[in-house]
Amino acid sequence: MAGMMLRVSSVHKSFSEPVLTDISLHLKEREVLGLVGPNGCGKTTLLRIMAGLETPDRGDVKVMGKVGIVFQEDRLLPWKTLWENIALGLKYRGLRGEELIGKVKEYSEMVGLSKSDLALHPRKASGGTRRKAALARALVLEPEILLLDEPFTGLDVKARISLREALRLIWSEYELSTVIVSHQLEELLLLTGRVYVLTPKPARIAEEISVEGMDLKSRLDRVKEALYHILSRTPGSEEPLS
Amino acid sequence: MTSAQRGRKGMAFGVGRLLAGAFMLVIWISASATGMLPGPTEVLVYLASMRPEELFAQVLKTLYNSITGFSLSFLISMALGLISHKSNLIMGFSEALSEIFNSTSALVWSLVLVAVMGVLSPLPPILVVAAVTLPHVLTATVSALSSADPGLLEAIRAVGAKPSDEFFEVILPSSVPLLVSASRVGLGTALRISVVAEAFGSSGGVGYMIIRSYNLADASGVLAWSVVLIALVLGLDQLILKPIERRAKRWLE
Repeated sequence: MAGMMLRVSSVHKSFSEPVLTDISLHLKEREVLGLVGPNGCGKTTLLRIMAGLETPDRGDVKVMGKVGIVFQEDRLLPWKTLWENIALGLKYRGLRGEELIGKVKEYSEMVGLSKSDLALHPRKASGGTRRKAALARALVLEPEILLLDEPFTGLDVKARISLREALRLIWSEYELSTVIVSHQLEELLLLTGRVYVLTPKPARIAEEISVEGMDLKSRLDRVKEALYHILSRTPGSEEPLS
Repeated sequence: MTSAQRGRKGMAFGVGRLLAGAFMLVIWISASATGMLPGPTEVLVYLASMRPEELFAQVLKTLYNSITGFSLSFLISMALGLISHKSNLIMGFSEALSEIFNSTSALVWSLVLVAVMGVLSPLPPILVVAAVTLPHVLTATVSALSSADPGLLEAIRAVGAKPSDEFFEVILPSSVPLLVSASRVGLGTALRISVVAEAFGSSGGVGYMIIRSYNLADASGVLAWSVVLIALVLGLDQLILKPIERRAKRWLE
């Protein structure tokens, strides 16, 4: 289908119990798509299936482009500096010298990392800086589809705003389609144009909501209403979202 | 912890170490006062009377035996550790080998190897060190090589790492702190064990000098060479191995 970057069709996945049931969704070109749902409903599993890190038991995933993923935990190698972490994927692709340095510099600046940040080991860097380094590590390979798992979790307000601005800058500069999984509804809805709401485990798509053209309050009200509707039909569920 | 708190902790730790040294000295002086042992002064005089070239030759011999034996056990452990990582058969073999070697005393190894190779062979002290340190180094190596964070392995796979990259970028670096700590303990053990082996079947080394002094009923000689051994173990640990360990673990701090 023209303009389509990713299509998930009737995907089922179980581990010791069913996690995903009959999930179908799509991601359009240059779109920022959100995935929301109660805690532990299987959003990360769905993202990992999109990234090819898990195989669905049934169903099909079609990916039309290179995929980059940023994990919920930064997963930076602690014995390497942030610069070395960002350069890893380029090194594996055989890039050396000026070309490698140029690319690392370009994407580090894009996400807002300074020269002094890049010299740090992950343990010495703040949560926001580490998250940006993980983002730069994925971006430096120039993916066409970017998957972000809880990018704002554990960050303070300043770091969240800074990361949000970095993402906006990236989307304005590069042709990138993005899927974001986040519990931070406000952050998510400031960035996405369309949201899939998932049910508690085993997750199904409960609703697809387009929030394009709405102000933030209306977006929040609309998505929260959908979530409350799902949770009210699920005995024992708690309010899991901020 | 603030730097002032760290400073106070370091100071207290240093005083504790000095007190331990003073405690051992007091015990030695008390024992020598009863006439059971030569005192520190007699031993110092003995040490001062040693020919420096002889001292260095014996120390070097012991260091050679210890380091060669330890290196042998380290190489065997790395090889088994790497294959164990991929094969359950080798994992079982390594574990059983480790248990057997761990149950065999340094004395048994020394006697058997000297009996097989002869008193004049240079190999028994080296092989005894290798056999005694092997179980500790092997256990540490197998556990270090399997302690890599699966999340990190997945993260580098996601940016295109090959299996060799996984080994050199994640598995090996994450095992370095454990391997260095194990090596620090292992080398200390190697030095102490090599002395036992030298005492039974060797024509040189600190252990040989201790047993020779004992056979000549030279108590000052026994204590002087023992002091040399203690200084060697402490010097190697504090001046070489500890700084290496600190450097290997700097990214953990």
